[in-house]
Amino acid sequence: MKKISKKKFANLLFLFGLFLLTLGLTVGLISEKWGILPLAFIISGFLICVVWIGLKTQQSQFWSKRSTQSTTNALVATLAVLTILGLINFLGTRYQLRLDLTETQLFTLAPQSKELLRNLPKPATVWLFTREENLLDQELLENYRRQSPNFKFEYIDPQTRPGLAEKFGVKDFGEVYLEFDNKRQLVQTIRENERLSEVRLTSRLQQIISNTTAKVYFLQGHGELEITSAKNSISQAVQGLTDKNFTALPLNLTEQTKLPEDAAVVVVAGPKRALFDGEVKALQDYLNSGGNLMLMIDPNIDPKIDNLLKDWGVKLDNRLAVDISEVSSGLGPAAPLVREYGQHPITKDFGNGISFYPLARPILINPVPDIESTPLLRTKSYPSSWAESNQQSEKLEFNEGQDLKGPLTLGVALKRKLPSPTPTASPTPTASPTPTTSPTPTTSPTPTASPTPTTSPTPTTSPTPTTFPTPTASPTPTTSPTPTASPTPTASPTEENSQNKTKESRLVVLGNSDFARDGLFQQQLNGDVFLNSVTWLSQQDQQPLSIRPKEPKNRRITMSTAKANLLSISSLLLLPFIALTTGAIIWWKRR
Amino acid sequence: MGIVIANIIAIYRRELQSYFVSPLAYGIAGIFWFISGLFLVMILLGPGGILPTIAAYDVQGQQFGIPVPPIDVPYEFVRAFLDRISWLLLFILPILSMGLYAEERKRGTLELLATSPVTNWAVAVGKLLGVLTFFITMVLPLLGFEAIAISGSNPPMSPIIPIVGHLGLILLAAAILSLGMFISSLTDSTLLSAVLTFGVVVLLLLIDSISKVIPGPIGQAIGHLSLLKHYNTLIQGIFDSSALILFASYIILGIFLTAQSIDALRFQRQ
Repeated sequence: MKKISKKKFANLLFLFGLFLLTLGLTVGLISEKWGILPLAFIISGFLICVVWIGLKTQQSQFWSKRSTQSTTNALVATLAVLTILGLINFLGTRYQLRLDLTETQLFTLAPQSKELLRNLPKPATVWLFTREENLLDQELLENYRRQSPNFKFEYIDPQTRPGLAEKFGVKDFGEVYLEFDNKRQLVQTIRENERLSEVRLTSRLQQIISNTTAKVYFLQGHGELEITSAKNSISQAVQGLTDKNFTALPLNLTEQTKLPEDAAVVVVAGPKRALFDGEVKALQDYLNSGGNLMLMIDPNIDPKIDNLLKDWGVKLDNRLAVDISEVSSGLGPAAPLVREYGQHPITKDFGNGISFYPLARPILINPVPDIESTPLLRTKSYPSSWAESNQQSEKLEFNEGQDLKGPLTLGVALKRKLPSPTPTASPTPTASPTPTTSPTPTTSPTPTASPTPTTSPTPTTSPTPTTFPTPTASPTPTTSPTPTASPTPTASPTEENSQNKTKESRLVVLGNSDFARDGLFQQQLNGDVFLNSVTWLSQQDQQPLSIRPKEPKNRRITMSTAKANLLSISSLLLLPFIALTTGAIIWWKRR
Repeated sequence: MGIVIANIIAIYRRELQSYFVSPLAYGIAGIFWFISGLFLVMILLGPGGILPTIAAYDVQGQQFGIPVPPIDVPYEFVRAFLDRISWLLLFILPILSMGLYAEERKRGTLELLATSPVTNWAVAVGKLLGVLTFFITMVLPLLGFEAIAISGSNPPMSPIIPIVGHLGLILLAAAILSLGMFISSLTDSTLLSAVLTFGVVVLLLLIDSISKVIPGPIGQAIGHLSLLKHYNTLIQGIFDSSALILFASYIILGIFLTAQSIDALRFQRQ
């Protein structure tokens, strides 16, 4: 009687042990945290089971059998071997020797990436919102992960986890985001032929770690649009900039003669009165030392900045751009609609979208060496659009000789590499008449206009024409080659930029400021024109780290037809035939 | 020690000789060569193969002035070919390994082997070496064909990447054959042995994608067991010590388990 109860107790003990084991595993798996509680359950359950096995084997004479002995030996030996192999593999992954044998080190991270990852202070996660998990991408990300335990990556299907995709603002398959310290940033959009790039990922990582918000200064004091919410303000545009990680600040140049050093971009938004000479000179100095300026100048105003613009080959026309074709828009002829955009990072994604500019002035461009100019906004061609000189007249009509035929350029983006030979060093080539935009070729070449050579201590004046192959500004702006086709306006680094670390200064001139004003900013593409311009100006697409993109060695196989035929015949026919016939002969003989 | 090695060599020779008189072995080799030759020609020369595609790119680039991105054609070719061959191994290797012990069991010669003075693991090592040598013999002509193709590369390619890739191929084959040998020692049906080996190999090749579902270090550890992952590392031209260790572990595990299972045989029959 006593014995039975003992047996029953033992069986109950076993069940209890199993229960504890299951409990521990369940708790651990569900909470995904292997803390003290689940571990305690598992260990106690395991111990109880061991005790039960011990009790059981004591009851039967199981151990004394020889087969049991050998089986146990085999089991123990197998377990030991498995453990040893497991440990060796564990150590093997810890102390790993990886040699990249490819000639161009395709699978090795650049030293800059390694350095950055080794000093990664907090966890950084790369989220890939795509379905197809490319092997090369994974290899690259694994390489990143090997450098730092803080680096993680995760593939997310945006359709199965829409909440997460919403959180990141995912618009399309293939978008890759970087998350660091509760900040999120788009790295790039991966496609079939555009794989994840180390250059982009590392520079994004550096940006997000260093956390530098670029400062955008708005010149004030001459009736410019206010940046705070007021009647005539661009507060919506400022809000848009803040969303893009910019800081907008007012700038008063009457108090200080120099521009702040941390100014990423300076915006002059629709001055109503002329600027002082000192202010213009400060802006000029700023531009010559690698600054970035955005000018939005309304018609019928002379801000007295012609000197500054002359260096860049830009002239503000005093006529008014009119467009009589768009009747349905209800905007009137003095608010030209723009549907045609230049080939430029700012306007790359615009397609044939609409932006409009109430009361705009055309801008004339003359090619200047070393300055690359790209017209951004173009109105329709004559007779739909022209520049009207007589704004008082009641009737809108084109007057030959006084008015300027369309298409008109309403905005232009320019950039100049520094240091570069100034226009004084090499006189401008013969003014090739630009067919579309510059109808006044007589006034265009201004080789004498040097950008304040007395005051600028920048190396702009050092003429090094032999070493610097700057693309000369193409005389036809319609076909002017943008050197980098790839960069999106949202500050994506171009691979080309990584190779030249030359500083450059950028300038965007728009013949209108109203389009960015509150109320109009949100309409059509107006806001994008402004935001993309500022983003491009801020030079965030410039490579902070000079990482060369990894490229395989260019190599071809040249094979004559005879050789190819020989290869096909011998591999496809000859060799299998020999093997099969030999096999058949042996089989026949054996029979 | 000398005796053990002599034993291993004796087993190895016996095993190897059996392949050269077996019509089945010739049949397998013939089919393997035909399919791999098909892969080779399709990857290199066939429509949509590397050479015609790249030639079309180059012509297009010259016509329209579009710069063609740099492509390492021989490297891509070797990688693609080795990648396809690894899938062919899935079907060929279980057939090679199925008869290793199952055949002995069927003929009744297994007891002789088990009770012979030759240690079980020496038998296993000899058998594995034999079948591996047969496999290498099957791969060698392919290596020759690849060499013919690569010899036309311009600029010339250093042979180090193909060598590491083929080392990976042989290690992968050895790991699969070793496990197949163990499975073959469990049963007397060659068919069952082949099917089981096929299943285990597919599991080990695809375990990487299973491991992605499991988060944390457990998932990583399971992912590390994947044969295909390490094989891909090697054929990409990365010499990875952990991959070599993993393949060696599978080979040792297979030999050990085979020896154990033959050892257990002695007591099962009592």
